[in-house]
Amino acid sequence: MFELTAEQKEILAVVREFAEREIKPVVKEYEPYDRYPQPIVDRMKELGLFGLTIPEEYGGAGLDHVTYALVFEELSAAWMSIAGVLGTHSIMAYVIAAYGTEEQKRRFLPRMATGELRGGLALTEPEAGSDVANIQTRAVRDGDAYVINGTKTFITNSRHGTGLLVLAKTNPNAERPSRGMSAFIFEHVDDVPGFTVRRDIHKLGYRGLDTCEITFENVRVPAENLVGGVEGQGFKHVMSGLEVGRINVAARAVGVARAAFEDAIRYAQQRVTFGKPIAHHQAIQQLLADAYTQIEAARHLVLHAAAKKDRGERVDLEAGVAKLFASEMCGRVTLDMMRVLGGYGYTTDFNLERYYRDAPLMIIGEGTNEIQRIVIANRLLEKYAL
Amino acid sequence: MHIAVCIKQILDPEISPRAFKIDPVRKAADPGTASLVIGPFDLNALEVAIQLKERHGGQVTALTLGSDKAKEALRRALAMGADQAVLIDETQVSAKEPSVTARVLAAAIRKLDPVDLVLTGRQSGEWDFGQVGALLAEELGMPFVPFVPRLDVAGNGLRLEREADGGVVVVEAPRPCVASVTNANDNVPRLPKVKDIMMANRKPITVYGPGELGLGAAEVGDEANRLEVLDLFIPEVKSECEFIEGEDGAEKGANLARKLVERKVI
Repeated sequence: MFELTAEQKEILAVVREFAEREIKPVVKEYEPYDRYPQPIVDRMKELGLFGLTIPEEYGGAGLDHVTYALVFEELSAAWMSIAGVLGTHSIMAYVIAAYGTEEQKRRFLPRMATGELRGGLALTEPEAGSDVANIQTRAVRDGDAYVINGTKTFITNSRHGTGLLVLAKTNPNAERPSRGMSAFIFEHVDDVPGFTVRRDIHKLGYRGLDTCEITFENVRVPAENLVGGVEGQGFKHVMSGLEVGRINVAARAVGVARAAFEDAIRYAQQRVTFGKPIAHHQAIQQLLADAYTQIEAARHLVLHAAAKKDRGERVDLEAGVAKLFASEMCGRVTLDMMRVLGGYGYTTDFNLERYYRDAPLMIIGEGTNEIQRIVIANRLLEKYAL
Repeated sequence: MHIAVCIKQILDPEISPRAFKIDPVRKAADPGTASLVIGPFDLNALEVAIQLKERHGGQVTALTLGSDKAKEALRRALAMGADQAVLIDETQVSAKEPSVTARVLAAAIRKLDPVDLVLTGRQSGEWDFGQVGALLAEELGMPFVPFVPRLDVAGNGLRLEREADGGVVVVEAPRPCVASVTNANDNVPRLPKVKDIMMANRKPITVYGPGELGLGAAEVGDEANRLEVLDLFIPEVKSECEFIEGEDGAEKGANLARKLVERKVI
């Protein structure tokens, strides 16, 4: 179903080598201390990973979403936070490539492709997560700029990155709130007056990566940074970007679950109880067989959504289904694989506890699974309407 | 400066021993599902060549004798930084021994623009003959320096370090010459960049058959091989554990030494 080209295979082989050689051996130098893995990020720049899906004419590799998803799986199998460095960056790049003006594409995408401009998505607010339409951040036109005021939270890449796609209300009186929002390309390479990273949010998992609360106080953003040059399109742009986001989050879940499964099946063949390796106990075999089956199923859902996206079709349903299934699967599988390792799985001597801590991010992030189910159900009722 | 690097595509040496099988009829390794990679020391040779190009300019040509599948190895070489790639189609070649491989590679190198340096890995990483470099130098009539972890331009020639027992020998050699490369901290093969992988897939690969290299059956056919593999098998490794008795360390040490002498280990 998903026969990869020689080029795709080679790219994945290199990402796997990178993960094996340069990520896995050093995770424990960063993750337990919530330290940002700058050397790994620098190497990702050198390898060109920040430009994965940016069109070639703007300096990227112009890769398809199937390869994109598999790259996210590989990175997450090593350390999920590393996929996070690329995640919202790639969504911001996608929105600019899909909806930006030609001038915006030329101005931002080549620098995003090299990683010189590393982006993120400033969407969530203290009072608006899944309920995006309720955002309070305002952008008011003032001459040749927009003045932005508001607070955003859970913003990945906002401390160490240098750019954000900011969703703000430009018309609070719009009949439908979603039509009153606009997306802005905001750069903060140097200090920007009024822009403050208030605090780093400490998390259960997804550590080492900057997830921050940020504020905009009368921050002036040039009017030419309004995505597409037209007000009122931001909600649509961001929602379309989140389709890509859900593919990458689902792929991350597959990667984390795969890592847990691979650690567990190796351990099960070494650990002996009652006179034989635990892999020969049926109770353990059931756990392993179920885990593998679920991982395979999830990967197929992810690649199906990615392939459909590559054909230019609408994939909110498929990406939502993949995200829902893969993330719930990851939560179950990481716990089940911890059962295989028993007490050792609960210790920091093994990586399983990290996979287990990272798994809920995929359940909650990129639209909680509760919202995901509503989106899926609404699409189904639309599709199967009487 | 023109550097030719000879590489070989081999079965991934990192596969688990259980996955390694031998085809008793062909008397060769059975590829099974194992992935194919460039020999580890050949990758070091590529890295040395690319670093030299980066310091002094010039071009790097990667060559391999192999099947159509070996184009994957050449594409990796191109993605790492080689400028050209040459595949010598092995269909009409019977290279059971290194002298035939060296003869074929030498003929291909003579067809290239004049080279200043030819590099090989110190050994292939599968058969581990470690002879192609020296035989290639003989074929090309060039000096040969083995076990080289690093080298650089020195005047009109080259200054090469050669690993020796307990130290390093520094030698100078004229250009052109042949060197076989060994691994070192400063020639760890680089990972190619995503865009370079894509560019490598768009570059042409020159393919030669032995006929185009002026080689006939006498040079590269079965009769050119003097080596015959009589048998090929995976040695059976048996291990047993014996605890050495003794009251204290000294007595245990003495008992261990006695046993080792008895078994002619020491």
